[in-house]
Amino acid sequence: MKRFILAILIFVCSAFADNVFFHNHWTLWKDADVLIWSTDKVPALDSKEFCLSLKRNNTGIGEPKCRVFGEWERDSIAVRYSGWLIANMEGNVKAEHLRARHPAMVAKIESIEDKLILFIGERDGKIYAATFDENAAEPVAAGVFEKTGDKIALGDKIAAAFFDGAAKRRLTKEERAKRMTEPDESYKEVPGFQGWAGVAVGYSQAKIPLTPDNWYSSHTESRVRNYRITKDSASLWNFIDDSDPQLALYAGGTWYGFIGAELMYRYAYHKVKTDNKDTVYQELSYWGFHQHEIGINVVLSRTYTHTKWFKTTPFAFVGFQYSFFVEDIGLKDDSKEHSKAYDVRIKFEDSYKGALVGIGSHFVFFNHYGLGLRAGISSRGRNIEEDPSPEAAAEPTTIGSSTIDCFINLGLEYHFSM
Amino acid sequence: MCILCGCGQSYCWHQSHPSYKKAPTDSIAVTGLDEAFVVTRSSWFAKRLEISKDSIQTFTSHFCSKAFLEQLQKSYKSVTVIPDVAFSHFPEESQKLDTRIFMKGRLPEQGIVVKDSAGNVPAYILIIHEFTLGTDLQRENFYDYALIHNEAPEKKTSQNLSAIVSYTLWDNMKQRPLYSAVNQVDQPNVKLTLNDISKIVASSVQQIKQELTAGVK
Repeated sequence: MKRFILAILIFVCSAFADNVFFHNHWTLWKDADVLIWSTDKVPALDSKEFCLSLKRNNTGIGEPKCRVFGEWERDSIAVRYSGWLIANMEGNVKAEHLRARHPAMVAKIESIEDKLILFIGERDGKIYAATFDENAAEPVAAGVFEKTGDKIALGDKIAAAFFDGAAKRRLTKEERAKRMTEPDESYKEVPGFQGWAGVAVGYSQAKIPLTPDNWYSSHTESRVRNYRITKDSASLWNFIDDSDPQLALYAGGTWYGFIGAELMYRYAYHKVKTDNKDTVYQELSYWGFHQHEIGINVVLSRTYTHTKWFKTTPFAFVGFQYSFFVEDIGLKDDSKEHSKAYDVRIKFEDSYKGALVGIGSHFVFFNHYGLGLRAGISSRGRNIEEDPSPEAAAEPTTIGSSTIDCFINLGLEYHFSM
Repeated sequence: MCILCGCGQSYCWHQSHPSYKKAPTDSIAVTGLDEAFVVTRSSWFAKRLEISKDSIQTFTSHFCSKAFLEQLQKSYKSVTVIPDVAFSHFPEESQKLDTRIFMKGRLPEQGIVVKDSAGNVPAYILIIHEFTLGTDLQRENFYDYALIHNEAPEKKTSQNLSAIVSYTLWDNMKQRPLYSAVNQVDQPNVKLTLNDISKIVASSVQQIKQELTAGVK
């Protein structure tokens, strides 16, 4: 029994013996030169076998070339740093605690360009490993591995621990030189173009909050009698329900984080406010209008970055829209003949033209995923681009020439920048 | 962030290495005693202590250095002094304590152990980078890089005698800073005597010892 427990303990210990202290993001170059830097007399890794381990572990790494990093193994400053590094690699350290401080050593690390450096050394019967890239004078990743006689197995473990992820093509000399002169992306405050697309659900109603009811009561309390009779016909809300949910699709973009444009489509369904007392509607099963709106907005915005992964972009918009109301009417199956009033029921205009204005904000997480909240007022009026009819004076006023509502909607968005 | 550091409202004045597990208790080596001590408002000190203006800097820095070592010897069983010369060829480096707080000082190179004059290798070295003595000093005015160019108003009166000391406890075996801090000690100023100065230096040493113990992770 004791032996069994001991065997389990040894198994558990060996499972936890390999330990990665930290692994920060680095650029894994495709077809890279991998330089194995060790100060041990007998290196724990075989460079040829390690290359095969890399290829086995990460098929995207291409054809890496591995060799022993003799230049640094013979350099006294690098030797001193490597001795210090092996003594200081402990489980609780971060990369900054292993930073090279000697200016000459810092310069050496910064000049490695697109080579990948793997430091490897033995201390107290364990193999310590760390990787370096050109971006900082500290290791990118570090860890400890159980020492075994099997160099291939160790190479496989190190390759799996540090050399995973997508590999990038190495830059040519010209590309590298050009990149050196480019401004740092981190200092670029706003991208040239920031775009978004989203789908939103919302609600619209004729009554604008904080305004007196009596401004709207003639519209909202109105009922349609005999398929066409209302008190007045200035607003469509005299005829159809004035508070309904809506669905919106939109896509747009801003240039330099300031001015932009947005295309949008909105859909809502409004039932006709039939007068229940009116017996003429007994033949009617349903009657309503599908509201389709397309429009374009000008957007003025400003982006505030709160954390690396969260930013908000408050914006104001003003635009115009075309509204189309498609009638949806059906009689009850048992009503054989419909009334005369049914035939001469109200007809809306083919299209209405209106404006909309409002404010809102995008809340963007991890640069791509956003929530959009917006509220505004939109109007629909007579389409003045139609030619006036010669009998204009004799014609009745256009139904719904002044239809105003307010809306609020919340959307899921995807953001991208160029 | 600073609440997590366990320090004041806006600044974090110390930093421990994650491997700082045990504070030195018996023996310690100290360096920086030759050049770290500086007096601000030297003419004020010269007038009060009745020492000529020309020699006030040399006099007080010798005096403080002696008082510092005496108090250190009271606090630790064995104290080894390493002359500043042993450090003067190392480059001056900055250590970051907080977003805007940086302290400067010479630290030994990675991979090189410092030996004392007898050739022994001390395990811990207390490196005194700067010890500033003055009146009503605020450490943020010296170490917050956003404030260091501010000019202090000319003052006629002074409430406190104050000392600001920046120091590092150096792990000589593994060449790493175990504990780095900037401490400030204020002492009500009644009538300045040499005794007041040795008292403030002594309390500064006591504070360093307390902090070294408290800073263990």
